[in-house]
Amino acid sequence: MDRPLLDVSGLNIFFKQPGGRETRVIADLSFTVAHGESVGLVGESGCGKTVTGLSLLSLLPPEIARVTGQIGFEGANLALLSARQMQDVRGRSIAMIFQEPMSALDPVFTVGEQITETIRTHFRVSPKEARERALAALEDVGIALPARRYDDYPHQLSGGMRQRVMIAIALSCEPKLLIADEPTTALDVTVQAQIVDMLLNLTEKHGTALLFITHDLGVVAQACSRVITMYAGQVVEDAAVDDVLGRPQHPYTSGLLRSIPRLSMPKSVLPSIPGRVPALAELAPGCRFAPRCTYALPACAEAQALRGDASHLVRCCRYAELSLPGAVA
Amino acid sequence: MTRPEPLLEVEDLEVRFPSGHRGETVKAVDGVTLSVAAGETLGIIGESGSGKSTLGRAMAGFLRPTHGRVLQLGVDPSALGRHDFAQHRRAFQIVFQDPNAALDPRMTIGQSVREPLDIATNETRAQRDHRVLDLLDRVGLDAEFALRYPHELSGGQKQRANIARAIALDPKLLVCDEVVAALDVSIQADILNLFVRLQDELGLGYVFISHDLGVIAHIADRIAVMYLGKIVELGPADDIMRRPLHPYTKALLSSEPVPLPKALRTENRIVLNGEIPSPISPPSGCRFRTRCWLAADRCAEEQPAWEQYAPNHWNACHFTDSQSRGDASGPAQFAAILPEH
Repeated sequence: MDRPLLDVSGLNIFFKQPGGRETRVIADLSFTVAHGESVGLVGESGCGKTVTGLSLLSLLPPEIARVTGQIGFEGANLALLSARQMQDVRGRSIAMIFQEPMSALDPVFTVGEQITETIRTHFRVSPKEARERALAALEDVGIALPARRYDDYPHQLSGGMRQRVMIAIALSCEPKLLIADEPTTALDVTVQAQIVDMLLNLTEKHGTALLFITHDLGVVAQACSRVITMYAGQVVEDAAVDDVLGRPQHPYTSGLLRSIPRLSMPKSVLPSIPGRVPALAELAPGCRFAPRCTYALPACAEAQALRGDASHLVRCCRYAELSLPGAVA
Repeated sequence: MTRPEPLLEVEDLEVRFPSGHRGETVKAVDGVTLSVAAGETLGIIGESGSGKSTLGRAMAGFLRPTHGRVLQLGVDPSALGRHDFAQHRRAFQIVFQDPNAALDPRMTIGQSVREPLDIATNETRAQRDHRVLDLLDRVGLDAEFALRYPHELSGGQKQRANIARAIALDPKLLVCDEVVAALDVSIQADILNLFVRLQDELGLGYVFISHDLGVIAHIADRIAVMYLGKIVELGPADDIMRRPLHPYTKALLSSEPVPLPKALRTENRIVLNGEIPSPISPPSGCRFRTRCWLAADRCAEEQPAWEQYAPNHWNACHFTDSQSRGDASGPAQFAAILPEH
């Protein structure tokens, strides 16, 4: 089997607290993304999705966050790279886009300047060629009249157009991996559909792998072939999207799916997950989901490992005996 | 038998805002006629900029119509004097999207929930405090929350506190504007369950505004689809979801990302071109024509008529008869998993 493009193993992220204590916000996280694969990373707010994405590009502030473990990418361990070496990876081999395009774009530079800046950072090309590549990138993301939009400032664009520009910047250097953190959450469903389609077409065309961070399992169903569910800083399930939607094996994934209103009868009582995500500073050693889990047994007080076969990993000791409801009851 | 008076009637409502440029105006709501019955949930869907929130605010009596009128229990709130309006408006309350912005950070939850009672009732302090505990209990918050401040609560708990405050004066209608949009899906389920339960217990009518079709499909009895200030389709929720007539409704439904395995998803998605045009100078004729795959010359010239196609199912499109009837794109994927009822 080919080596995966991204091979994260034993990733830990500690946040420094006032008074010198540290809280482990990501615990022993391991997952892979193959060349050209599209992987969803899902979970509720506070489960560590975004922090994980940021850590892959060393975007966490070092005075607050300490990262240990392996971030294997094309044979190198990104966790060991210097800040200077990381600059060559960021934007070139791995690019990232965010939920709020307005805060990710610089308001005082034109769209064209922001794309050519990225291109000229990574390639020795003339200003003229950089401009041509930028125009091609704008055209690729479906912006009409790219030559006119090139000189626009971000505030002159709609939310959907800004996100297209962000994607143009991210894909302008043909990265191997694109990390997309809730890229369509702030958009209307109609525009979301356009952006997801465009993102899938472009990543497929260039063979770019996609790590799609989202809370929306509907978008994952559409955009990804594999989905990783995170809970309280850990991976709790990792399998093919259709397997997880049809037959989730972790009670948390099942709970997330069942609470989607679309999958219940109108006005019926929606199944929800009791309780709240635990504070990471005060975790018991056992299964982190056990306090909210309807299937918890005394055995769940033991630390849980990821188990199952390689095609469907799950962090639950009861996975083999439970038959949990998914999107199709 | 006489028909009961509707809780809320909206007649040819227009709300315009000055846009700041050369005396132009934004027609946020442009000729809407609707009614809401007691105990009913009317869902309003549409993209950002369609005028949903402005319509909701006008329905709650928070905005004065530029033209047309809103009748709340047969009374036009904008015609009332100050004192009568203060009495009248208790029955029509609104809950907003951002649970943080709606609570005063310097007041305890108990004080915030009691505030409407302090202003509007002559009860003693002890009676009001007792009512606060009742209200908190109704929305699923323990009595101890009365002494806490908003920053000590989660998003879901804050939204419960806002709901307690909104129902404090026994309203007849709540306008709920994207009330679950900021919440995680599991918390969202809890809050939707709470809305359904309160409606049963208190006989509340809801105007539920959301961009989330799943939320609206779950909670609404009837659905109004809004585009650029106009209602383009209105009908029973089940009918709209399963047999949409207007091309815009079809496009909205088919662009909803559904959490189903590939084998159960429909492949004939309609992806609209472009984005919603500016409400300062909306397209002539049918407003949706600039994004519509059925558009013809006639659509630019004539506004489509508002016609009834099925019982209580209204629609405004020139092509409904020839093209759209009986074509159940979009919702078919859910028909596969949800029983008919």
